[in-house]
Amino acid sequence: MSETKKIYLQPTPVRIWHWLNAFGIVTLIVTGVQIRFPEHIVIFDSYRSAILLHNTAGLVVAVSFSLWFFYYGFVARNMAKLYIPNKEDLQHGLTRQAKFYLLTYFLGWKNPHHPTPQNKFNPMQKSAYLAIMFVLVPLISLTGIALTNVAFLRDFVVMIGGLKILMSIHFLLACSLCAFLFTHVYLATLGHTFFAYFKPMWTGWEEIPDDQQPHEHSAS
Amino acid sequence: MLADYRQKILAPGFFLLCLLCPALALGMENEDCLGCHDDVDLVGEGSFVAEVAFVNSAHADIGCSSCHDSISAAHPDDGLTASRPNCLDCHGDVAEEYAQTTHNENAGCSDCHDPHNVRGAAAVSGHDMNAMCVECHTADDVVDSHSEWLPQANLHIGMVPCVTCHTASEDVIISLYITHKKENIETGALDLADHGELAALAGSDDVQDLVDTNRDDYISIAELRMFNRNPANKNVQLLGMMTPASVSHDITTLDNRWDCSFCHVSGPGAMQTSYVSLAQPDGSFKRVPAEQGAVLDALFGTPDFYMVGATRSKTMNYLGLAIIAGGLVLPIGHGSLRFLTRKNRRKSEDKS
Repeated sequence: MSETKKIYLQPTPVRIWHWLNAFGIVTLIVTGVQIRFPEHIVIFDSYRSAILLHNTAGLVVAVSFSLWFFYYGFVARNMAKLYIPNKEDLQHGLTRQAKFYLLTYFLGWKNPHHPTPQNKFNPMQKSAYLAIMFVLVPLISLTGIALTNVAFLRDFVVMIGGLKILMSIHFLLACSLCAFLFTHVYLATLGHTFFAYFKPMWTGWEEIPDDQQPHEHSAS
Repeated sequence: MLADYRQKILAPGFFLLCLLCPALALGMENEDCLGCHDDVDLVGEGSFVAEVAFVNSAHADIGCSSCHDSISAAHPDDGLTASRPNCLDCHGDVAEEYAQTTHNENAGCSDCHDPHNVRGAAAVSGHDMNAMCVECHTADDVVDSHSEWLPQANLHIGMVPCVTCHTASEDVIISLYITHKKENIETGALDLADHGELAALAGSDDVQDLVDTNRDDYISIAELRMFNRNPANKNVQLLGMMTPASVSHDITTLDNRWDCSFCHVSGPGAMQTSYVSLAQPDGSFKRVPAEQGAVLDALFGTPDFYMVGATRSKTMNYLGLAIIAGGLVLPIGHGSLRFLTRKNRRKSEDKS
């Protein structure tokens, strides 16, 4: 039987942030669906409560995003290292990781990326999170904030090209985040066991079986 | 409603009046009266009647002397003061409807309506409808009291005239107005462009040219797009108000108006009918029907009119669905292959 090594991958603030976000985003999706299709989908009692909950959850996610940004940028100070793909990632890492997910995974090969606290994302994750966390989430939050303060931010709304365009951007970006969510949850099941990648996001510790520990060469 | 009265009562009444009292009807023409009463310095504020407003008013047809019947050809030398007209003579059933409301205890006909400046509901902008209400109910008070339960109360009040919810008028329509892009931030009230400004943009006195470019008294979505994309119109925008389809004097708040879903759930079906209302030189509005579904057009038809839930665009729904479906491609595709190749991974685990 192989030996299991444990590494502390997800610090407490990150875990709190992750689950706050998860809960917030699911609430936003569910209330958002009722807000857009009120005659077909009635999950909450009244339309008003769906809107108030959506606005509150939006605010929670926006604030939690700001805290996350502050934590990685100013406390942990490893935001760039974690989220911005480096030269090696772009030249080889991305294709290596894509080859694993799309081909060698099915042949039973092991994941070429070995997470460490300073390099916990594989090159594809880095690129995806870069787009999600630095483009998608801020844009959804900003359009959402504008939509809840239309009169006050009139100049901004006019600059964007009107309420309908602002609303369409918010809606389509939200659909993109929802699409990402499916992929995100699915990819999280690709660890050495079905829940291997879920555990560290709850306990902080990732269990890495002996055969999956880097012996000769680290992906970083 | 007023237009109905004009047709049903006033026009035949006027005809009868002309037949029965030719001396009275012809003795004192509107122009004779307005000769003096259009001059505020001459008659004082209490007796002043603005000619431009009155001659375009629904009451102009029946003439001054129909209501002020004590006035003779000898006025003002005879020293008789004008009799106070009784609105109920013509508007009996409106009065009956109104008398049953508590509002009746606080305001009479002329507290809300200026009898020298009356128009059919279609010729009054939603903005002007509210002008009557704010005489007593100040905009700040209205926003404050609605804020207690209504999200974004100022936006709602700016876009929905009081009478849309606070009268027994069941149905609503969308009236689109050309407004300045800047609006009153506190109250959300629309700042409608007047006829002069529209005429300057249209390059002619007939402001319908501005939107109805082919002059067929019908505004297509293509024409709306053309209006919205025209750089010359960059300082104005088309904003919609939800106005009552017919006017009622039963000042009660229907139960369904407390429910957000009365408007927001009504969905694309109820949002199909809309009109563009254009300011006329006399301060009234001309309503031109717009193509079915204009306010639901995804982008350039009415880019500034958006009602959450109600005016969603089908095109955007399909685009959103395609994006979400895209997100399912990997889990479903990869998941299926993963299931089919599960033995490979088991073998590899056994080896290790």
